[in-house]
Amino acid sequence: MIVVEDIHVTFGRGTPLEKHALRGVDLTIPEGEFVTVIGSNGAGKSTFLGSLAGDVLAEQGRISIDGTDVTRWDTPRRAGLVARVFQDPMAGSCATLTIEENMALAAARGRRRGLASALGGDRRKGFRDRIAALGLGLENRLHDRMGLLSGGQRQAVSLLMATLAGSKILLLDEHTAALDPATADFVLDLTRRIVRDNRLTTLMVTHSMRQALDYGDRTLMLHEGRVVLDVAGEERAGLDVPHLLALFARQRGGAEISDDSLLIG
Amino acid sequence: MTEIALFGAIEIGLVYALVAIGVYLSFRILDFPDLTVDGSFPLGAAVCAVLLIAGVNPWLASLAAALAGAAAGLVTATLNVRFKILHLLASILTMIALFSVNLRVMGRPNVALLMQDTVLTPFYGLGIPDHIVRPLVVGVIVAVVVLLLARFLGSEFGLAMRATGVNARMARAQGVDTDAHVYAGIALSNALTGLAGALFAQTNGFADVTTGIGTIVVGLAAVIVGETVLPARALALALVGCVAGSILYRLAVQLALSADAIGLQASDLNLVTAVLVAVALILPRLKAKASRSTKAAR
Repeated sequence: MIVVEDIHVTFGRGTPLEKHALRGVDLTIPEGEFVTVIGSNGAGKSTFLGSLAGDVLAEQGRISIDGTDVTRWDTPRRAGLVARVFQDPMAGSCATLTIEENMALAAARGRRRGLASALGGDRRKGFRDRIAALGLGLENRLHDRMGLLSGGQRQAVSLLMATLAGSKILLLDEHTAALDPATADFVLDLTRRIVRDNRLTTLMVTHSMRQALDYGDRTLMLHEGRVVLDVAGEERAGLDVPHLLALFARQRGGAEISDDSLLIG
Repeated sequence: MTEIALFGAIEIGLVYALVAIGVYLSFRILDFPDLTVDGSFPLGAAVCAVLLIAGVNPWLASLAAALAGAAAGLVTATLNVRFKILHLLASILTMIALFSVNLRVMGRPNVALLMQDTVLTPFYGLGIPDHIVRPLVVGVIVAVVVLLLARFLGSEFGLAMRATGVNARMARAQGVDTDAHVYAGIALSNALTGLAGALFAQTNGFADVTTGIGTIVVGLAAVIVGETVLPARALALALVGCVAGSILYRLAVQLALSADAIGLQASDLNLVTAVLVAVALILPRLKAKASRSTKAAR
């Protein structure tokens, strides 16, 4: 469970470029809920995810994960609770390390790393079994460098890596935005499966309103650093993309939005 | 090249193999260009020499030299990690400071080891010529270091260190304290360099404050030569490549210096080294360019 109480984040405070990126976000996400997050550029989506991951420390407010106050924890310290997949397929793994080495790194997330062999014992076999379950034929390429994989394969492995250590929450920051549509669909289906099988509390930022409504249990819309829409259950089931666009337009002060093709799709 | 010159080149190549491995750790694994080695090499030599003269056990003196090197590395890492000074500049600051430190440690610009016992002493009277004993003993030490380091880099801690160098953001997201791994890696790199300095002092019979000049370039040359002759993906092989590169580099230098026709002398060493490294760095680019233009022509 994630509890966020009135968090504020400001970048470049006191400079001409000062940006109040989060202006009091209040949110409770129950365990196992899959939340999709939408909003226009600069709405604070990535900052919000960053503040949950520890990349950005909130200057005001409180964040707790599973009852533990993590407000002042940095990224490595939160990593035992938080798993992530980034937008850039290159960002979530080490290109010059092998697939199995990347998996070993992720498997030790949140643990003290000692001098025991990272790939010793029956770990290799465990990794092989896990990666075989992806159905991408990567089980025979464990010794290949991560950089040799396609973007979609890297995102799939990154998702798998997110489940190797028992994390509480999964943060997905537009993790399909850099993929072609077919690959994006594959990665989204895999996401759904992994979230369900591991009962992960998940936040997925997306640019696509279609995805935001099709996946998950609840949808948040951020605008200018605040949550302006929070729908779940029947209300959400009754929503369609045009409704969402209308709501979106209203938040933007009624401006015509039809030309903003980025948001549809 | 005489037999003595040949084994001499192998011996000095093996001593600098430890520097090469240290440079490989900083430059290649941590992606941290660290020039501290120019100071930590003579620091290791100085600490070892002074302790030997004080009658300390040679192995303990060598260990102390490694620890002194590690301390120097920690200074550089602190300047960079804690105080955000650019890594290159941080290491230059430490290097410059170490020049004075080394003079203080020795109390004068150089110290001769004449009658003192060294780690080599027990192996001298075994019937093997001295010029072969030295590379043998140093070679065994280097082999042990390579084995231990390969094991270390394959451990969970070592893997996290490699991730720190490749993709720090990902490493942090996986719970790796990247700062701690930079401290550990740079300390280890300079500990190996300090140990190399200690072995240099013991095989050559002196410690001199000026022996550090160009250490980084020699180490880098060895790493690059090693990568060229042994383009290995596997880590253990890359370490072996550093050792092979260091020996090959010394043999090449020895050949160049002993070929009278070229007219080089020992004092030209740094110039030759710099040219070698520059050429080794430029060649791959030219090759890539050439293959691109041939493709374009087709």
